[in-house]
Amino acid sequence: MDVSGILQEHKDRFRSVQVDKLVPVDFDLGHLASFDINLLDPGKLKASQKTRDAYLKEISRDGAQLMINELFSLPTVVDDDSVYAQLPKPQTTLPREKPLPKEKAETRWEKFAKIKGIQTRKHSRMVFDEESGEYKPRFGYKSAKNEEMNQWAIPVPDNADPYEDQYAKLRTEKKERVAKNDRRRQRNAEEAMATERGMKPHEMRKSQLQRALVMSKGSTASLGKFDTKLTGEPKIKGVKRKFDPLVGSADKEKSKNMDILNRVNKGEAKASLLNVRKAQRALGTNKQVQAEMNTKGKKQTKRSRK
Amino acid sequence: MRPLTDDETKVLFEKLTKYIGRNIVHLIDRPDEPYCFRLQKDRVYYVSESIMRKATSVGRHNLISLGTCFGKFTKTGKFRMHITALPLLAQYAKYKVWVKPNGEMPFLYGNHIVKAHIGRVTEDTPEHQGVVIFNMADVPLGFGVSARSTVDMRKVDPTGIVVFHQSDNGEYLREEDALF
Repeated sequence: MDVSGILQEHKDRFRSVQVDKLVPVDFDLGHLASFDINLLDPGKLKASQKTRDAYLKEISRDGAQLMINELFSLPTVVDDDSVYAQLPKPQTTLPREKPLPKEKAETRWEKFAKIKGIQTRKHSRMVFDEESGEYKPRFGYKSAKNEEMNQWAIPVPDNADPYEDQYAKLRTEKKERVAKNDRRRQRNAEEAMATERGMKPHEMRKSQLQRALVMSKGSTASLGKFDTKLTGEPKIKGVKRKFDPLVGSADKEKSKNMDILNRVNKGEAKASLLNVRKAQRALGTNKQVQAEMNTKGKKQTKRSRK
Repeated sequence: MRPLTDDETKVLFEKLTKYIGRNIVHLIDRPDEPYCFRLQKDRVYYVSESIMRKATSVGRHNLISLGTCFGKFTKTGKFRMHITALPLLAQYAKYKVWVKPNGEMPFLYGNHIVKAHIGRVTEDTPEHQGVVIFNMADVPLGFGVSARSTVDMRKVDPTGIVVFHQSDNGEYLREEDALF
């Protein structure tokens, strides 16, 4: 039996995988992209939409075909259910999506360390604790320093008050250290914010303080009217109401009123484009009518069945 | 006495458009004489330029009224129309409702208008639209807000409210003290 005819027919239904291009096409297989720098036919581009679209489609089909041909020449990995091509590394560098993160403002310590040339050394996290004879974290949870508070006995120093609670003392000291660190952190954040706004930190602190002063002075029942004045207290100027002159030019007033009227009318026109409630009701009545029609129809059919 | 600010003018015009639509233009741009809006003790007066100029010589505390009082600004900044504005509203009204003689008195005593009292209505009046009320002899009686559109008015039963009362001529007697 000769099936060559059928095979030929089947083959003719598909386009050839061979594509000829005047200038060879570039590939960036890492991005699954092909770049075709062949000249486009200006006559076809200026032709009707249909022919132009068909032409462009044809070109992109050729590009895709060439790229897929190229993909088949790549080394492959065979998995349980399929064969994968190994893509090379992308050649084209794509622009970054997000903007670069802003540089963090330096803290006071960082500035100081820079001037003094202090460099941070890498410490190991664990330190050998000679007392217990084992490694303990340098700081934080279960560190030797923190364990001090949990000892069953603490020796009272020589000159200390014998009735003083040494445990409480350690605890308050620790709390104070934490609070101090927090204050420093806050100060750094404030200074960073000030420099970001282009102000000097102490200037910003001053203006904030003045604002707070004004607020607190106005927080009495008499709005601060009877409070004693502080020396160097800032004078607050309120906004003065300003009205048009009572007797001005009539034409000017008229044109101003006309302007406002036009604005009002515009708003009205926008609002009255679609009367929502009316439209809803119209829809509702239509549905009602339809529903009535339907029920009538059903009744009639029932009757006819009887 | 002072001119209205932009915001106040806007609020006033928004209210007026509910009754007379774009006919406000005829209030601002009059062929006979320039007219203006002035505010005195929260009340808005529509007054001719010449009278306003004369009134400038009267002190703020002594000036009781001038021109036509259109209404007053409430303390929350809304505008409330007064019955004194009725002649101008009636002249330029877009939507009108005429009441039968038997409905005149109930309306003038401050009641809403029921369907049974209605003689005639402007066609295609929308719902919640400012309307001016007339009697059958075309004398303006007051104004209000339509409770139903013209189409829906037909479905309402005779005792159903069709126009909400806002202001009527009876206020000249009832609210004599507060009106001007």
